Formats: sequence, C-alpha cells, structure tokens
Amino acid sequence: MADPRVAGYAEALFAVAAAEGDSSVVEDELFRFAQALRSDDDLGSTLADTGLPLARRLQVIDDLLGSRASAVTTALVSMVVGAGRAAELPAIVDAMVERGAASRNKTVATVRSAVDLTADQSERLAAAINTRTGRDVEVRVVIDPSVLGGVVTEIGDDIIDGSVRRRLNQLRESFR
Amino acid sequence: MSNRRNRLLAAPLLALLALLAFAGPASASGESVGSCIAEKLEELIEESHGDLDEVLHELHVDTSIGDHFEKKCIEAPSPILPETNEIVWGGSAFLILFVLMVKKGFPAVRGAMDARAEKIRSDLDAAEQARVDAQSVQSDYEARLADAKTEASRLIDEGRADADQVRTGLIAQAEVDAAGIRERAASESAAATAQAISDLRAEVAGIALGAAERVVHASLDAEVQGRLIDAYIDEVAGTDG
Repeated sequence: MADPRVAGYAEALFAVAAAEGDSSVVEDELFRFAQALRSDDDLGSTLADTGLPLARRLQVIDDLLGSRASAVTTALVSMVVGAGRAAELPAIVDAMVERGAASRNKTVATVRSAVDLTADQSERLAAAINTRTGRDVEVRVVIDPSVLGGVVTEIGDDIIDGSVRRRLNQLRESFR
Repeated sequence: MSNRRNRLLAAPLLALLALLAFAGPASASGESVGSCIAEKLEELIEESHGDLDEVLHELHVDTSIGDHFEKKCIEAPSPILPETNEIVWGGSAFLILFVLMVKKGFPAVRGAMDARAEKIRSDLDAAEQARVDAQSVQSDYEARLADAKTEASRLIDEGRADADQVRTGLIAQAEVDAAGIRERAASESAAATAQAISDLRAEVAGIALGAAERVVHASLDAEVQGRLIDAYIDEVAGTDG
C-alpha cells in the first residue's frame, strides 16, 4: 500500500462499511464497481472529468448503482468521486478490500474468469487455494472475457493460470 | 699585313706607270717649240754666216723653210712621255702626295684597317664566343633535355608502377568487396528465407490459432465453462505447493 492517500481513503471506506455493519457486501459491491471502471474507460474518464458538473457525475453513479447496490456503496463511491479521486477509485477499493480481508485474517485472491463463479465454486476454490498455499483467502471474481475459459487466480504476487488463453498462448509459442 | 701594305704601296706606282703609258701628246710641245725654232733659226743664221736679213728673206721667199721648222719643231707630242716640266711638277706633286700618304694617309688607312681588322677580329671572337656559348647552351639544353627525358621516363615508369599498384589494390579490394557482397547477399538471403519461414509460420500459427480460438470460443458454453472452472479447482487443490 504505497500511496498514503489511497490507503487513507481505503481505511475510511472500510471504516464506514464496518460502521454500517455489512462490510463484506459493501466490499464486494465496491470491488465489482472498481472492476467495471477498469474495463470501461469511458466510464472512468467521465467520472474523473472535473469539467463535468459534480451533479452530473453523481447522477451517473446513481444510475449505475442506485438499484443494484446498497446505499452505503453508492454513497461511498459518490464520496470518492466528489472528492475528485475517481481515477484512484480502483486502487482505493483494492486497498479497502485488502484491508477488510486482513481484518478477518484473510488474503484476497483475485480470480479472473470469463464467467462468474458460483458460490460453491468460490468456496471450493478458496479451499483449494488454502490447501495449496496454506493461506486463508477471500475470492474476488473479476469477469474478464479475454480469459476465454478457465480461471486465473492472483494472490499477491503469485499467479495460478488455468485459463484457455494461456493454453492458446502456449500453443502459439510452440509454433515459433 | 705586309702583303696588304705592299699592295697598297704598289697601287700608286701602278697608277703612275699607267699615267706615263697613256699620257696624251698635248704636252709634247710648249716652250720646247720656241726653243726648237730658235735653235733652227740659229742654225739657219749660222748657215747664213750671221746674216739675219738673208735668213729672213729666205724665210719670206721660201715658205717651205717655215714649214720645215714646223715639221721639225712643231711635231706631235709623245703619246707616252709627258713634257719634262709636267713630269717634274707631276713627280713633285706625286712625291708630296706620296709622302703625305705615307706619313698621314697610310697610317690613317692602316689604323682604320687595323681598327676594322680588330673589329672584325673582335666580331669574329665575339661570334666564336657566341658560338661557344650557344654550343654550351645547346649542350646544357641537350643535357637538360636528356635529364628531362630521363626524369619523364622515370616519372612515367613510376606512374605506371603506381597505376599497376593501384589497379592491383583496386582489383583486390573489388574482389574483397565482391566476396563481402556475395557473403552478405547469401547471409541476407538466408536471413530473409528464415524470416520468411518464420513469418509464414507465425502467419500460419496466427491463422490456426485464430481458427482454434473461434472454435474454442464457440464451444465454450456455460456447461463447458463450469467444467473448466471445476477442473481448475481440482487442479489447484491437487497440486502440491
């Protein structure tokens, strides 16, 4: 957690979510919104555009999260965007998720898959990772169509790549 | 010089002899006619025993005596010898002229001749010196020409040798360059071939992988995705740390 500002915002978000009593749901909703920001450049640039009126940007947030996320999540995202830190929101959310997992003595395992994992798959994957690495993890799924199939798991600096994309890349390398 | 002087002295003598030889008879009579007539009259007077009147009478009566006097005394002058007084005057004038010539003229002429001869000699010497100088210059020129020819020949030989050396060097360099070009061309050809093969292989791989990706993508329905995820979970669980 290199940037003190990001760490500060992450700590604040975690504190608010914990205060509201449902931090796990808030973390999950914030994580998914952060992934949406990463994958949608137009959305990121719109929220970070200080030339747009704040009300317009907040309206965009409300349109995206109002009916799909909790009020706390919407309020936290609006707070960060209103503070002019929309560009740092994905990093803040990552740090907040890490902070939440750490509060529960767990590590975040970012899982990228072309399709969402079922709850059962998430639990089994967490157990499998625990079996392999000895670390208790919380699985955060990122929908990434470029994976094509299978799963890519990132735990800190460790990567376990079981994607179809990797196999296709291996096949491409074998042709060279 | 002595011959020339003798000839110069002989010239007036020859002129004198020519004058004596071809002198006219005009000067043969003159005062000698009077004396001759006087002598003849004296002879007539003596023959007449001193009777002058008789003599005059005979002369008056016998005109042939006068004619006789004229024939005896008034005769044609000598075609060769002038009259004595002319000889004396002429000889005197000649001697005076001769002396003047000997004393003044001849030395002057001789001086002029000597000066002329000296000038001619000087001119001849100068001409000889000029000839010698010219010969020297010619010799020097010929020597220089020979040196120049030798130098030119040497330069030509050196130039030819240099040209041969340069030509040899250029040929060697050209051969080296040609070998390098051939080598590079072969290397580039091999590299191009390898690159073409690599590109072709990559192209084929890309086409094949694209086709494979499309096939895989089309076949990855929800069920297959679920199986892949399950297989991945099993793989992670079954893999030793």
